[in-house]
Amino acid sequence: VIVDGDVPRVFGYALLTALATGLGALPFAFVRDLSPRAMATANAIAAGLMLGASIGLLEEGERVSAGATFVGALLGVGFVLLTQHLLGGREPEFGALRGADARRVLLVLVVMTVHSFAEGVAVGVSFGGGGALAAAITVAIAVHNIPEGVAISAVLRAQGASLVACAGWSILSSLPQPLMAVPAFLFVQRFSALLPYGLGFAAGAMVFLVLEELLPEAYAHERATRIALVTGLTATAMLLFQRTI
Amino acid sequence: MLLPAAMITPRPLDLLLLSGAAVAAAGLGAALGAGRRLTPALVGWAGASAAGLMLGVAYALVSASLAGSPFASAGGAALAVLLLHAAHAGTGDAARATTAPSARAAVRASAIHSAAEGLAVGAAVALGPAFGIVLALTLIVHNVSEAAVLGAALRDEGRSPSAAAVAAALARAGQVVLAVATLAVVVAQPAALPWALGAGFGGLLYLLFAELLPDSYQAVGRTGIALVVSLAAGIVALLGGGARGGMP
Repeated sequence: VIVDGDVPRVFGYALLTALATGLGALPFAFVRDLSPRAMATANAIAAGLMLGASIGLLEEGERVSAGATFVGALLGVGFVLLTQHLLGGREPEFGALRGADARRVLLVLVVMTVHSFAEGVAVGVSFGGGGALAAAITVAIAVHNIPEGVAISAVLRAQGASLVACAGWSILSSLPQPLMAVPAFLFVQRFSALLPYGLGFAAGAMVFLVLEELLPEAYAHERATRIALVTGLTATAMLLFQRTI
Repeated sequence: MLLPAAMITPRPLDLLLLSGAAVAAAGLGAALGAGRRLTPALVGWAGASAAGLMLGVAYALVSASLAGSPFASAGGAALAVLLLHAAHAGTGDAARATTAPSARAAVRASAIHSAAEGLAVGAAVALGPAFGIVLALTLIVHNVSEAAVLGAALRDEGRSPSAAAVAAALARAGQVVLAVATLAVVVAQPAALPWALGAGFGGLLYLLFAELLPDSYQAVGRTGIALVVSLAAGIVALLGGGARGGMP
């Protein structure tokens, strides 16, 4: 049973996912740019891990209430859509940011930061499903954060930022994760009947992010069959990981 | 823990009817595609809904499978992904719809596709008729849109709608064979059921990532597709969970 005393652990796990974003700066210690195909493969791996993690969340929620989990998933999808709506049509400009001024770099960071709120909620509510599920979700989101860190670092590096600055800004963009994880965890602990809604919310948001962001970006630079191979195998590995840890 | 053998009830007639209906749906879709009655956007939306339905079914399959044996389930899934990838390597990405495939390549891709679906239907029917019906209905919807693309390729080579329908149905014949074979195997050897369910999951997942989603994204765009796929998957996961009701 997970209790309030686990708050530091929840914060620590979510902080790890934020720190993982900083790993995205590492490749730029060796190369100036990563090939689009390498980024596509990284996105495919992240998509598979997040999909596998979402299946774990849905199963956990379904054990309590399938209907509530479904409603929660719809809310999660709605949350991501609302976030994107509030951000307007600015996200598609991401690819044109190379060589842009600092204001546009800041916009990238804002976009990344806002969408990491949902990921923080996912880590927090996953603790309601037990330590193994929480560990699995943490790993999935941490791995997913690395390509995001790469994307941020690519933009900043092109502006002449140092590696430390790239890593620092990347981590900063994911700080909503530990900040959101603790309130989400405490919320579902206080109102345990809301747990399936929370689990569904996290799963819905993650599946939507996979479908709306990761996969289209992966398909843009790599053959679909290779994306399918990588995503299928990593999703399977994630499911096995969740069942055996 | 393996799934109890008592849960596996042979339903050969159900299976033949369901997989036969899926084959007939492919014939209908090909005739529609060859008759120029579907716009690319409509095919894209249909593909997205089919992808969502398949994702939901894949979820239901893997949930049932993992409850039996996680290692067998993962083994079956990985095997299916690898085999389908090897099969696709033979046909090449040229078999994909939006790249204007040759009719022969499209028929070959359709045959590979139907094999994975047949395996999934056979495993689902082995679990119970209700679950099998949910899966088969999903595949019927999916087959219409997929075969419409095949029909369009056949039309470009001068085939009539009726000839396209026959070709699509023949390409899908493997679905019936695989479904019956899968049911026969799991009835004879219940320990194979988690493998079959896992393979069904892996196969469906691979096909929707390799074929359905890329084509749909190109035809419609990412946000609409993500929304439709998420909703359809959620609905099927909800229904599929109810349909497989008594599963451990």
